[in-house]
Amino acid sequence: MSNPDLKFLIVDDFSTMRRIVRGLLKEIGYNNAEEAEDGAVALNMLKGAKYDFVVSDINMPNMNGFELLAAVKADDTLKHLPVLMVTAEARKEDIVRAAKDGAAGYIVKPFTKATLEEKVQKIMQKLGAPA
Amino acid sequence: MKMDSMNTLAPAGASPEVFQQLGQITRQLHDTLSQLGVMPRLQEAANGLPDARSRLTYIAQKTGDAANRVLNSVDKAKAEHHSISDQTRAMGAAIVADPVKAVASGAVMNFVTEVEACTGRIDAHLTDIMMAQDFHDLTGQVVAKVVSLASDLEDSLVKLLVQAAPADQASKLMAHVAPPDETPQLNGPVVNPEGRTDVVANQGEVDDLLASLGF
Repeated sequence: MSNPDLKFLIVDDFSTMRRIVRGLLKEIGYNNAEEAEDGAVALNMLKGAKYDFVVSDINMPNMNGFELLAAVKADDTLKHLPVLMVTAEARKEDIVRAAKDGAAGYIVKPFTKATLEEKVQKIMQKLGAPA
Repeated sequence: MKMDSMNTLAPAGASPEVFQQLGQITRQLHDTLSQLGVMPRLQEAANGLPDARSRLTYIAQKTGDAANRVLNSVDKAKAEHHSISDQTRAMGAAIVADPVKAVASGAVMNFVTEVEACTGRIDAHLTDIMMAQDFHDLTGQVVAKVVSLASDLEDSLVKLLVQAAPADQASKLMAHVAPPDETPQLNGPVVNPEGRTDVVANQGEVDDLLASLGF
């Protein structure tokens, strides 16, 4: 059973993908999600309100996913936040970089509902939070 | 083409000197363009054309797949919907004819169970239709790459035109040369994964790679 109180921030420059992720999270049982169109907007939102989970694309204008991840991990008030990368970047060096930079997980597009559910549950269990 | 070959192509009566001179001019033009740095950029842009073709093929395939996936799911969802409609009509008739029998025989309960299963299947089809829209993100990134390639080619051709234009026209043409895009580009979707070892082909390979690193 998912914890419906968890608050997600979905970061992707394509509104279609934000809607897909939001729709899937809702189906999985997470109804509380907000959206940002790039890393810079996301960072502002993260600094202005409390979130429990970030789902972020990598290839975005203004501030990409790697830069957002670095900014989150460099901020003492945000670094505890799990950041799940959901991206079309399939190069091994990008996956390794994301892991080393502190990403909680990496999903390569196109993906399935089952993959998203599995990764979110696994990350929340790892953090000891009620999923 | 060598000068000898040019001479053999010369029509009867044409002076070989004319062809030699043409050859010299061509060589001179090539050398000048190379010195001006236009040729390498043009070459680079032209090398991107097969990549652009692959990317456009990828877009056509992804959009086609998405359209088929949506239409297949719509067909299945509509069939389920018709089934519910038919069963509802039949159940209504059964209840009107003999409500006690309809309940006692278990027909009402069977109907309820079937409707629940049917709506579950319709929901799965709707999720599939939603997931099929991911082509917009994937192809959008590839379109951006192709636009960038076309823009590079256009810039190189305009620069070539500037070099060949009279001085008073060159400044007007320069206005069409876009400043170089300094934004570092990520790769976006892999359009040709076959034979590549630097990319993953699916989520299983991502998980294996991360597991091998202890994540």
